[in-house]
Amino acid sequence: MTLDVFLLILRLLLIVLLYLFLMQVVIAITRDLGKMTAAKEFGTGKANPVLGHLIVVDSGPSQQIKPGASYNLLPQTTIGRGPTSDILLSESFISGEHTRMWYRNGTWYVQDAGSTNGTYLNNQPARDALPARTGDIVQVGYIRFKLAQ
Amino acid sequence: MIKNYRWKELGLFIIPFIILLLIMFQLPLAQYYETQLQTNAQHQIQVTTSILPTIHDLIPILGLIVALFLVNVLISFFFPKADQILLPLVGLMSGIGVMIATRLQTVPRIADPNLGTRQLIWVLVGLVACLSMLFLLRRMGWLRNYKYIWAALGIILVAFTLLHALRVKNFDSPNHDQLNFGPLSLQPSELLKIIIVIFFAAYLDETTRDVFADSSRHFGPIPIPPLDKLGVLGLMLGISLVLFLGIRELGLALLIYGIFLTMLFLGSGRISYVVIGLLVFFVLGFIGYKLFGYVQNRFATLTIDVVNWQNWTPDTIFQARNGANQVIEGLIALANGGIIGSGIGLGHAGSFVPVAQTDMIFTTLGEELGLAGLFAIIGIYLLIIYRGYRIAIEATNDFNQLLAAGLTSIFAIQALVIIAGNMKFLPLTGIPLPFLSYGGSSIIANYIIIGILLRISHNTAIERKGLG
Repeated sequence: MTLDVFLLILRLLLIVLLYLFLMQVVIAITRDLGKMTAAKEFGTGKANPVLGHLIVVDSGPSQQIKPGASYNLLPQTTIGRGPTSDILLSESFISGEHTRMWYRNGTWYVQDAGSTNGTYLNNQPARDALPARTGDIVQVGYIRFKLAQ
Repeated sequence: MIKNYRWKELGLFIIPFIILLLIMFQLPLAQYYETQLQTNAQHQIQVTTSILPTIHDLIPILGLIVALFLVNVLISFFFPKADQILLPLVGLMSGIGVMIATRLQTVPRIADPNLGTRQLIWVLVGLVACLSMLFLLRRMGWLRNYKYIWAALGIILVAFTLLHALRVKNFDSPNHDQLNFGPLSLQPSELLKIIIVIFFAAYLDETTRDVFADSSRHFGPIPIPPLDKLGVLGLMLGISLVLFLGIRELGLALLIYGIFLTMLFLGSGRISYVVIGLLVFFVLGFIGYKLFGYVQNRFATLTIDVVNWQNWTPDTIFQARNGANQVIEGLIALANGGIIGSGIGLGHAGSFVPVAQTDMIFTTLGEELGLAGLFAIIGIYLLIIYRGYRIAIEATNDFNQLLAAGLTSIFAIQALVIIAGNMKFLPLTGIPLPFLSYGGSSIIANYIIIGILLRISHNTAIERKGLG
């Protein structure tokens, strides 16, 4: 075939491929969205269940929090001094957003949310998400909790 | 690792790789065709294996493909949960950018035999920058906690740019805001945009809702942004605007103000702030229009009647200072392209349009890809922006949300302003088109944005779905 015909074919092929790619991305996106809405529907089907508790074992220098106090844990729980925290601890050594805990695939995870005094799981710093089991000690700032069912 | 491997991303990379190979394949053929045009025999040239490009010609693009594949493998190893759709889109865009730079190498007006290679090197550096963002930002904490250092860094950058521009003393040159180190030239303003967004996001995150909910400032029934409480934010904005207007980088000033309004809205949730901000902008813009001649010239290009081109006189179009010739020639190039384009390597790209590889890259690309190709390019930008905002929505804490949304907005506003400028919808400004425009700083800055977005999406996925 002649060169100009060949070039014409190449040009058209380029445009077709560009649109094929766009279609492929859009399909990937819609599949993504579909999975997301399915997961959300499943999640909000039941009312937010309480999946566990944090029980204070050592309240440290806190004046208001007593050992033995129990806090409910939701599938996703934030702990801190800020008003939007699920577990609100009004202590000066607790940061606005101190700790995050969430429950997934049968395991709890604890992670520090960038706090000043740190979060520890069994005395290990929780800079990355650490898996926690029932009975583990979660330390938020200077308060120690035990993770319970 | 196999279970977590980013198959979706790899699958999405297949067509971009084919596209890039196709373009690289077509370029030498097109150049050969162009050289034969003078002989009047172009319709009889047969396609033989002797004129087909060899593997040797394809090496640069094979290098890029291997690099993108390696990035995919690396990220699968360390950050399997990060967003899988962004990189193929961005990779295709940067690849097309490298291809266009290669194509423009031989144009007499530009005559730079290393344009494509330099662009490729910048893309590789950008990929490294993207990866380092992924590795460095363990917990976005240190971005948020040192915000005043970021602000100071930003102001130093602006001061640098300003001093350099004043030294150059010629505000009409297209690169008066660049710092030159030998063969490299950097635009610090590109990094400045990211620093400003980080600072705005950190500051707005800390400004509690109470400050905005306390609607003690009203103009009648309309809430006014409490500028004194926003203190440093306003100062930063003011300094940047004054400096950029001072060195006649109108596009940058527009961009920063747009980002400021966007983030203010996202942080406070009040649309009245945005409306007031726009009103202030229009008032100041009108004053600027009346005062500065070069602004009037740029706006004058918008009113040129393209249909009645017989009535054009040389002085209004081609010889006026800051005149309309760039944009008009760009439109002529686009018209030459038609619907399917003239084909890569077969158009007049760059030969009559000034600064074709940077400011006017959109029309340069448009001539060769045509209307259909341009729609696809705009579609890719839309998908990148969609993905960015989607990452912002899913983020689990306020700072991540503001940061992701702000960074995507930089991207979106940039693309909008420069594409509109190329098409004579807005006055042309010197903003680079992300990933397609030739220029190292723009590519690196945009890859840093992508890197931060990917890291945020990774953190979000870990928090929402666990490590499993």
